[in-house]
Amino acid sequence: MEFSKFLKSSSKLNIILIVSFSISVNSFILFPNINNSFYVLFHLTLIYIIFYYYHYYLYFVALIYGILFDIFLLNSIGAHLIIFLSLLILFILLRKYLIRLSSNQIIFIYFISLIVILLIEQFLVILIHNYKFNMSSFLNFFLISLIIFIPTVFLLTKLDK
Amino acid sequence: MAPKFQIKAFQISRLVKNFIIFSIVTLSFLLVFFSKSDLYLIHGIKNISSSVIIPITKVISAPINTFSNFVDEYNQFRSLKFENKILQEEIIRLKKWQTLAIQNSRENNVLKKLLNATDNNLILIKTASLINRNDTIYSKLINLNAGYEDKIKKNMSAINERGLVGKVIDTTSNNSRVILLTDPNLSISVKSISDGIFSLLTGKGDGKHLVSSFVKENKMPRLGDILVTSGTAQIFPVDLLVGKVIKVEKNRFFVLPFVDFENIDYVQIVTSK
Repeated sequence: MEFSKFLKSSSKLNIILIVSFSISVNSFILFPNINNSFYVLFHLTLIYIIFYYYHYYLYFVALIYGILFDIFLLNSIGAHLIIFLSLLILFILLRKYLIRLSSNQIIFIYFISLIVILLIEQFLVILIHNYKFNMSSFLNFFLISLIIFIPTVFLLTKLDK
Repeated sequence: MAPKFQIKAFQISRLVKNFIIFSIVTLSFLLVFFSKSDLYLIHGIKNISSSVIIPITKVISAPINTFSNFVDEYNQFRSLKFENKILQEEIIRLKKWQTLAIQNSRENNVLKKLLNATDNNLILIKTASLINRNDTIYSKLINLNAGYEDKIKKNMSAINERGLVGKVIDTTSNNSRVILLTDPNLSISVKSISDGIFSLLTGKGDGKHLVSSFVKENKMPRLGDILVTSGTAQIFPVDLLVGKVIKVEKNRFFVLPFVDFENIDYVQIVTSK
């Protein structure tokens, strides 16, 4: 019973994950920002699920999405898989401190984690996959994060009531 | 008693959970470590992602794709009149060039016969169409609808009517993945047509330009020089059109590729004889 209840409330968020993943790995030449926006949305949703719906199955989710993102966007496994699993492990370590925070503090930490994840991803891509640091790409992600953060949080909180 | 038993059945012991987490983390570490090798597992994962996941993601992202195509067609329709005028002027110019090209071709054939030279023609393996592209975030990759069942192999060259597009880096039974020239991780050995200056080019990272990473004897090509593949690395066939030098600095130069990477629908997979 408990498990089915849990699945019901997190399934909507998982659908958002699937849709945002699918759109971010299919490039649209006329609208490259659509890819970037859904890429940021995927990260936001994943952090949200880890924050509010932590469950052991998320390790499989992180493993699968990490591998797929790496294969589609980098052609070799590395940056995304490391980041997603590290995020989960870090959350377990900090969970007892995060529970005590106020809603405003959580929102702030939520945004900071998103930016830090995007930044570390860029550095891992340089380290593991030999790409150059692209400042304009990171600024683009940062700007998109600023724009879509509040609407996404609003949408996600509305979705899980 | 029955519901309690059900709940207990669903609860996995803490030890098993920790073991699963440990296994996932270990598996991830191994995958990252061996990701660049040609292991069967890595190849299998790439195979599944190409043949199963790509079609699913295509279906899910279809509404945005349709919208994107609609906007593209609308833009094309708007510029129809202007484009028509340009094309008419181009036809006149090309007709003059065609006459000259036919003359040169005849002359070339005669000279080849006189020299008893062999042709350095390419072998066309397959003409494939684009399934999807992953060239917005990080790498510059495209996926094609032909794989090793169509005799496509790793390291074969992908070209189109304008010149060199990229190199095949992965093949599955019915799909293959091509890394575009504009990817910073692809190096190509080129030479300038006018002076025969050899250099190595890589993608600049902006998805549009190439930049030199090595120039032989530090001899810089001139602005406007046309670059072709040198064939020295024996990956790309010799004399495939690459691009034009658009900016020369002290130690490096920038190249604009001939291929319009935003408008690739079909590519030809070729190899040298």
